[in-house]
Amino acid sequence: MICVLFSSAARTPTNSVVVERRSKSSKSYRQSYRSCVGAASRLCFTPGFTARRLNASRRAPKSHNVTDKVNPQQLALLMKTEWQLSYVTPLYQFRHTQLKSYSRQLSAFIAAEKQQGLAVEVEGAQSSFRVSISVVQGMVEADDDAETVLIQIHSKLLFAKKDEPQRPVWSGWLTCINGNPDYLRSLPEDFTCLPLFCSSGGEGLTAVVKSWFQQTFDCCFGTLEINHTSLQWLAALWTNCHAESSIQHLKMIWTLPVAPPLQVTYTVDPHDAWQLWSSVRKDPREESKGGEEAEEENSIDIEEVMEFMQGLKGHFYRHFRLDLSAGSLKQVTTALGSAKYSGKIKISNSRYMITTFTLLTECALLKMPL
Amino acid sequence: MDDSTKRLLQRLIRRIPAQTLRTTLEKWGRLTAAQQRSMDFTQPKWALSEKLLAICEENGLTAKHITELEMTNVIDNPNQGMWYAFQLMDPEDDANSIELTQFKEQFKSHLRELVRPVSIKIKKHTDEAVWIRIAWGDSFSRPNHLKPTYVVHHLQTPYVFVTSLTSKQKPLLSQALVLSARYQAIKDANLSGRKLTAIRDLLMRKYQQVFPTMYPSPLGERNQVVSNPHIEKEQAEPAANRLQMACEAFGDGTLPQLQTVVYKLETKFRDHTNKTMTEREEPFSCVVKFASTNLLESLRHCASSGIASTPVTPLLSSILQKGRNYFVITDNGSGPSTQTRQPQT
Repeated sequence: MICVLFSSAARTPTNSVVVERRSKSSKSYRQSYRSCVGAASRLCFTPGFTARRLNASRRAPKSHNVTDKVNPQQLALLMKTEWQLSYVTPLYQFRHTQLKSYSRQLSAFIAAEKQQGLAVEVEGAQSSFRVSISVVQGMVEADDDAETVLIQIHSKLLFAKKDEPQRPVWSGWLTCINGNPDYLRSLPEDFTCLPLFCSSGGEGLTAVVKSWFQQTFDCCFGTLEINHTSLQWLAALWTNCHAESSIQHLKMIWTLPVAPPLQVTYTVDPHDAWQLWSSVRKDPREESKGGEEAEEENSIDIEEVMEFMQGLKGHFYRHFRLDLSAGSLKQVTTALGSAKYSGKIKISNSRYMITTFTLLTECALLKMPL
Repeated sequence: MDDSTKRLLQRLIRRIPAQTLRTTLEKWGRLTAAQQRSMDFTQPKWALSEKLLAICEENGLTAKHITELEMTNVIDNPNQGMWYAFQLMDPEDDANSIELTQFKEQFKSHLRELVRPVSIKIKKHTDEAVWIRIAWGDSFSRPNHLKPTYVVHHLQTPYVFVTSLTSKQKPLLSQALVLSARYQAIKDANLSGRKLTAIRDLLMRKYQQVFPTMYPSPLGERNQVVSNPHIEKEQAEPAANRLQMACEAFGDGTLPQLQTVVYKLETKFRDHTNKTMTEREEPFSCVVKFASTNLLESLRHCASSGIASTPVTPLLSSILQKGRNYFVITDNGSGPSTQTRQPQT
């Protein structure tokens, strides 16, 4: 099943079409996301500053039928698994057409690491590892996004019977959904930006895979948390979907800094959460009158998100006289998925996955070092 | 010994903490002094288990004896599993004069009338508590000793604590308890926790009681970083105030160790900035769960540190005052598990 799919139309933004567009900004060094957008926004009122935060406004989640674009079997591999997020700096000389050879190199690399007795040893008694790297065709949104890459590692247990098939022991994927086009176009030639790295499996293998990527594509990895603001965004974005697809509940977990630490789980009825959300939404007609955007779909503002959260916190305070703002939001869960502050994400409904990963791509781009 | 009894013994040995295995076996008293001496407690559990199996075969011990050993262990280590509190209601005239032998006989005969086969073991512990172990069977199977229910009842009090009870068994146990303890009804006390001692202390008020008027100024004990004396003086008063309010709600001593409290809120959403929601007829439903390794301690700290505004809301202080950790809150509701309360705006 190794990379049979990608050969025809895999999009590596180093092909001719993209190069043309990039030639005007072609520079010899790669730029960081922040410096790029910072430079662009020098023309605006708040130079550099806006790029250091998340977008204050984003499009309301549309029910994307990802299943139309992405092979359902591949999509199933991305769903219902809890992924640990990291950011990755742009990959140098990465080719979507070379995945077969990368698979071989990575499995050789793992074998070599294993022989040195490093890292992988703790995973248990496992014999040869089989690596398959493939493209998740269609798992993109904007034209500048590079195609998503899926890495799977299979292995056979040391004492397994001869005919027993190898089992998946580790998987991970690199993606870019709606990456900032200004930034992506400003990248020098030969760099592919897949800023979001999701992994699931033993720590040892994660470390080995990361180190192979670092050595091969001159990139670096870093931890990516889903911070307070992003979690609030997800709570609002997911609640916004309730009219189309039931969220079943809106569950938020806070921790409060007292001794011993106090955890507050606040679970709201889906319909009530949605009504509260609708009540803080600005009238879309009013928006289109004032706003210059000609978009037919309405956008969501950070003010609305904050007002929604304030409403929830206010209702809580009125009963318990306890201020949730003193604590920190650690987790948000609905039937669509769950997100944790520690950088763990699980998607349970593919329909809104693009919206979620757009936000996470943005977080990853922001977290990259200058 | 049959296979199921052997399994029961092996599982039990695995569960008894290694440090207390020797004393538990001594308390059990089914081994001769020589047999007790022949046990090498430095050996791993599986070896001890084999050895003990052999001794039990030799002494001709049966499932009945093994359950005794289990009971000894559970009584010594009660803080395992989830315990639920129940309260007996409307005592008969003779409820206060009931004694152990009478209760024992009554309980056994009442439960056996309701369910058969059933294995019941009753033991009185030193702290006046009666411990009951029930292994349930039904018309098709023998009593299942691997999933016993434990019941702790303090005679002459209306409180009963239960662990591992299914909803099918609950009405049977309730009826047997009500009849044998000489009451007319039993209700859920809306209190549960992993520590039996904590929920017992909470219900029986065995913690340090709060007497607000007698409370001395606690400022001297506080170990604050000395900074500007003026700032300190200005902050001292509200801090002392908060601490006093926190102690009025939760006391100043050691608190029973609860892990959670759950509130089911069905109240109106009131927010002067949100007209749509405030005018809405239906209540806003949500469930709030607080969790901590020592919940009451955490809540007291919330109040004394200012994270919770003082005075502490009755919703939080009633955990201790009412001895409950499950509440249903409505604006004007009624019913047995409903606490009627008008939340302040």
